[in-house]
Amino acid sequence: MQDGTLARWPMITITLMRVVIGWHFLYEGIAKLTAPSWSAAGYLKQARGPFASLFKQLASEPDRLANIDVITMWGLTLVGLLLVLGLFTRLASVVGIGFILLFYFATPPFVGYFYALPTEGSYLIVNKNLVELCALLVVLVTGSGRFAGLDRIVHGLLARRRRIPAR
Amino acid sequence: MAGEDEKQERKAQAGAEGPRKLDRRDVLMGLSTVPALGLFGYAWRRHHQHQQARLDAAVAPPVAPADLQVINVALLGAGAQGQVLADAMLRISGLRFRAVCDIWSEYNQKRVVNSLRRRAVCDIWSEYNQKRVVNSLRRFKHEVSGYEDYREMLDKEKELDAVVIATPDFWHAQQTVDCLEAGKHVYCEKEMSNTLEGARRMVTAARQTGKLLQIGHQRRSNPRYLHCYEKLLGEAKLLGRIVTVNGQWNRAVAPDLGAPARYAIPAARLEQYGFKDMHQFRNWRWYKGLGGGPIVDLGSHQIDIYNWFLGVAPSHVVASGGLLYHDPKTHEWYDTVMCVYDYDTPEGPVKALYQTQTTNGSQGYFENFMGDQGTLLISESELNYAGRLYRDPNAPAWDIWVQKGYVTAPKLQEVRQQEDSVTVVDVRESVSPDQHNVPIVLRDPYHQPHLQNFFDAVRGRATLNCPPEVGYESAVTVLKVNEAIEARSRLSFSPEDFRA
Repeated sequence: MQDGTLARWPMITITLMRVVIGWHFLYEGIAKLTAPSWSAAGYLKQARGPFASLFKQLASEPDRLANIDVITMWGLTLVGLLLVLGLFTRLASVVGIGFILLFYFATPPFVGYFYALPTEGSYLIVNKNLVELCALLVVLVTGSGRFAGLDRIVHGLLARRRRIPAR
Repeated sequence: MAGEDEKQERKAQAGAEGPRKLDRRDVLMGLSTVPALGLFGYAWRRHHQHQQARLDAAVAPPVAPADLQVINVALLGAGAQGQVLADAMLRISGLRFRAVCDIWSEYNQKRVVNSLRRRAVCDIWSEYNQKRVVNSLRRFKHEVSGYEDYREMLDKEKELDAVVIATPDFWHAQQTVDCLEAGKHVYCEKEMSNTLEGARRMVTAARQTGKLLQIGHQRRSNPRYLHCYEKLLGEAKLLGRIVTVNGQWNRAVAPDLGAPARYAIPAARLEQYGFKDMHQFRNWRWYKGLGGGPIVDLGSHQIDIYNWFLGVAPSHVVASGGLLYHDPKTHEWYDTVMCVYDYDTPEGPVKALYQTQTTNGSQGYFENFMGDQGTLLISESELNYAGRLYRDPNAPAWDIWVQKGYVTAPKLQEVRQQEDSVTVVDVRESVSPDQHNVPIVLRDPYHQPHLQNFFDAVRGRATLNCPPEVGYESAVTVLKVNEAIEARSRLSFSPEDFRA
């Protein structure tokens, strides 16, 4: 898909989607930052699927776990902020997709797995993580930050890329 | 893909359109999603206020006294437990960390010193009582010095008021006595000592020096335990005549803690401090002569509650235990212990069962007191069994205690419809008791109130909740279990045993 080929209403709705996804990331990040003792340990320890041993390994090393906790808390918060603001939208989308991929494969919603901690549903392979991931893919390829977002100003100032006109 | 896009765009820009300047429309469109953040902030604040209101309703926030005398503190032993205590102390106002002492200077010492320095910057984001903590943190931000030898620390740090000891059990006695004699107040982790002789020396030193010694049985300062002891058992006598007690700590198998080679302590220093090698240094709790095994590590916290709540020390103990899970080649102390104490309380005899075992952590840890009128199930854990009461249907009503806020209103029982159920209840089965909860929640780290009590006592504003005499009584009670396992017979205590 080429940037800037979408009509006005598709761009508006995709922007709305971007803001809502950003909101979700921001909430997840800030909720973890403000919780007195949040840790990814419980989540990682219940990992299932092909990469389970890798995730469990991460949870068992205290030093590495501490880093993971910090990266997760701040990563989610920053991605959320950037998506809501439409700043560095492509970068934020890629990082956000990376996070969701990790979440998806840590607790894949495959038939036959039963989790004790809440997950994002299971609808046979598809879950809400996967839906959000696909939505972020749309955000990634449509560059909605340059339609409505700080990217529009940044790119305007740098004047290197065409802003997306609303046709 | 992206590369091609850019090329095409550049072509387009160079062509018909060319670079444009920002116009008003660009700025408006650019900022159009910013208000979403405002809405988010507003929603988050409301959410946070609700949370805070619920927390505040559970526990009144502490009042920080105005004229707070600053206490200079050193941490002696900066391992896992030392970190727990340091974290709790960082939330107590009026403390200034001066020194951290740990023989593992390659790792532990640096880690905690750095975290104390770092915390001064980081923790302002995550702590509850931000301002209170931040102000006290800034003061000690760069003043923490690391030591390896506690005697050197005592020599150099003349301004120290108090030392918090979290070293392996077999070091407690010597270090506590030395610190007391150097004129410092001491908070010493339990178990007071791995030998009664050592524990007696600590009691004597505290008496002779007149300095304060608090033993780390932190439940003694836990507001929920205090509420149960003073109000529910003392004033309301909700349980009636207590006849049996049972308690447990079910623990999951603990792996070898391991020791990274690059952080290894030189053999000479290990030997100097009584360790065979790094493996033993890290896993000292497994070894006789260094620690006391799980009955001491875990059981002593809870058996101390038996003595406290029953108001007397036990008269007899039978015990059985052994290495049921671990290999005797790697472990010396019993991983599984079950014991029964006899108590002669003024109200009558009581039997108290305790078990600690090494399998998995299900059903956790709790103490359960059963009387003819009710049951008190209590735990230090805020997550499980935090404080539950059962009133026997034949006991007097507890309405007045609900009105006073001592216990919560009873949980409404689901009446099982006969037709919905396939079970047939035996007519002889007694009516199930009403369930109430203890409405006291601890929002702070579990060790904070006990540390707070110690520092309040240092300031002369409180009396110690666990002075050495109490710690000694508890040590006598608990260490006897290991003796009883070895003796394979019922051992008796005499009242003199509990006097140091």
